[in-house]
Amino acid sequence: MSRPRLFFRHWRNRLSLLLILGYVFVAITAPYLSPDDPKNPSPFMRVGRAFESRPLPPDDKAVLGMLPRGIDVYHALVWGSRDALQFGLIVAISTALFGVVYGAASGYAGGRVGGFMLRVADSFLAFPPIAGVVFLQQLFAVTITAMGGIYYTSDILGRVVEIRGPATIIQVLFENVNPLMLSLILFSWMPYARLIHSIVITLKQTGFVQAARALGGGSSWVIRKHLLPNSLGPAVVLAARDVGGVVLLQATLTFINIGGDSVWGTMLAQGRNWILGPGGSLLTYWWVFIPPTLAVMLFGIAWNLLGDGINDLLDPHT
Amino acid sequence: MPPLLQFVIRRFMSIPVSLLVITMVLYGGVMLTPPEARATLYMPDNLPPRLTDQQYANIEEKIIRLHHLRDPFPVQYYFWVKTLFDGKWGYSPSLNEYVLPSLLRRTPATLELAVYSLLLLIPLGLVSGVTAGWKRSGSFDRGFRALAFLGTSIPPFILAIVLLSIFYINLSWFFPGRLDLAYTLEISAGNFIPYTGMMTVDALLNGRTDILDNAFRHLAMPAFTLSIYHWATLGRVTRVSMLGEKRKEYVTAAKARGLVERKIVWKHVFRNILTPSLTSMALSATSIVTGVFVSEIIYDIDGISGVIVRAMSGIPDAPAALGFAMYSVIMTLLLTFFLDVTQAILDPRVREGVLKT
Repeated sequence: MSRPRLFFRHWRNRLSLLLILGYVFVAITAPYLSPDDPKNPSPFMRVGRAFESRPLPPDDKAVLGMLPRGIDVYHALVWGSRDALQFGLIVAISTALFGVVYGAASGYAGGRVGGFMLRVADSFLAFPPIAGVVFLQQLFAVTITAMGGIYYTSDILGRVVEIRGPATIIQVLFENVNPLMLSLILFSWMPYARLIHSIVITLKQTGFVQAARALGGGSSWVIRKHLLPNSLGPAVVLAARDVGGVVLLQATLTFINIGGDSVWGTMLAQGRNWILGPGGSLLTYWWVFIPPTLAVMLFGIAWNLLGDGINDLLDPHT
Repeated sequence: MPPLLQFVIRRFMSIPVSLLVITMVLYGGVMLTPPEARATLYMPDNLPPRLTDQQYANIEEKIIRLHHLRDPFPVQYYFWVKTLFDGKWGYSPSLNEYVLPSLLRRTPATLELAVYSLLLLIPLGLVSGVTAGWKRSGSFDRGFRALAFLGTSIPPFILAIVLLSIFYINLSWFFPGRLDLAYTLEISAGNFIPYTGMMTVDALLNGRTDILDNAFRHLAMPAFTLSIYHWATLGRVTRVSMLGEKRKEYVTAAKARGLVERKIVWKHVFRNILTPSLTSMALSATSIVTGVFVSEIIYDIDGISGVIVRAMSGIPDAPAALGFAMYSVIMTLLLTFFLDVTQAILDPRVREGVLKT
């Protein structure tokens, strides 16, 4: 059976592709599905009264109801999928690229150099991403305050960066880089590197790679032509799962207010006091809790399913 | 020297190497900031409340000269590492105390949560993975796969909200925080001797079963939230290695000799799949540590994560952030070490020194 047909045979794979295509569609057509307020473009569009502290139920102004302070749930939901896709894809692709290149280089080098490179990667494995986020954000903050600017985060305004004086390169960098994204890229490429390293080490012993080298192939040519194509499969599986994983982590860190600016996470954080209604019911103010929760969970499920599907496809036993 | 001891020593020696690399990366990050920003790492704790800009600049300049903050990286790194051994790790303005004592005081709460979660998830993950893999596509396998899938797809804070709604507000079985207010007050009154700082252990040592019960009721939800994800991951890895292992010839041979199935699985196959499973756990140590902190923050436990909660919600606080990063790296390294040693003890090949790892 051909590979695509094998892939589409399972309902789980079809569901995952359907969900992902759905998110991509919503992300691309967001300006048409829910036009931004031209005066103040933001995922958090105000349709109700700013001083309204209660979340209002759905009506004709807001299809899915409002969060406290009159913020439209539907608008944030739609624009949140664009934000989540961007964040997940950028992080997963950059980590995968860096890790794969690093692993291929260290595996190909082998010997003492390769061992040293692997040692460095292993040391990075001891760095929890949550510590990285906090560390980077505080670095940004002290730098900008030391130069006379303002840097803080708040529930309502998000990340506030105000730079005084002439902007240096470092300042511009700090203003535009998302600390969570940077820290996830810096501290989660190691699984790829280890994976590719071990595959390349094994492949190096096989006949066809030795033949390619005997033909006089340069090292970068051998890596590109023979080693990478044969070791990319597992890396793709990891990357697919990572897209969902980092978005879940982003939403979690946003909700607990440790950096991160996930739109869906912020929605839940803003409605924090209304999620549990009277008697602990999650359904009294369902429009505060259910839409962003479903969006986050289905996003994670879709990418996890895709990863599993590709994994089964590559596994010769199935 | 017995091979196991040799392994433990060699494994322990790799911790300083990792620490060296990580501290160099951390301080490399700090080096990107201007010297004035780096000076906040060394600010004294008794800064007068009202300072003019000029006075502050003078103090800053003094610190910069005292700690060689304009020198090249190796010199600065050397002097920074030296200050790590003073047992203070800098004064944090948002905690209003030195960073290391604050971290150490908060450690027991975090340790307690981590230990109970690991004790819960490792055996459960191994057992469910083995059982699911042995009878592939059986009803247990299908149930396990669905649950494990759900476990890896639910973000912890959403699971926490649902759990709080059911077990805290509706049923009042389990609670957030560390102890009921009544017990907290009783402990601060002084009749209860905090030997270790871990509530469950202290309650036992003081012979207070009511506090023990209460402490477990407060631990249940955070430990469950933390465990479910890693239980699912560990179970999946174990299941996959089980699928590969049970095709091997020695299993067929054991079956042919008429051994009881339970004996084949737990005496023969289980030993062989322990290594890949525990290795995968060790590789996700950072994710476990992150999970511990997230769980603490969601359930309002004042553990180590309390440091960053305060540091993130106020004035810029570099010492707290750097100290927290260092401390969580050390925690992760120790956790990985512990998991590797456990695996070595259980794996006869490492124990007898046949396999070089």
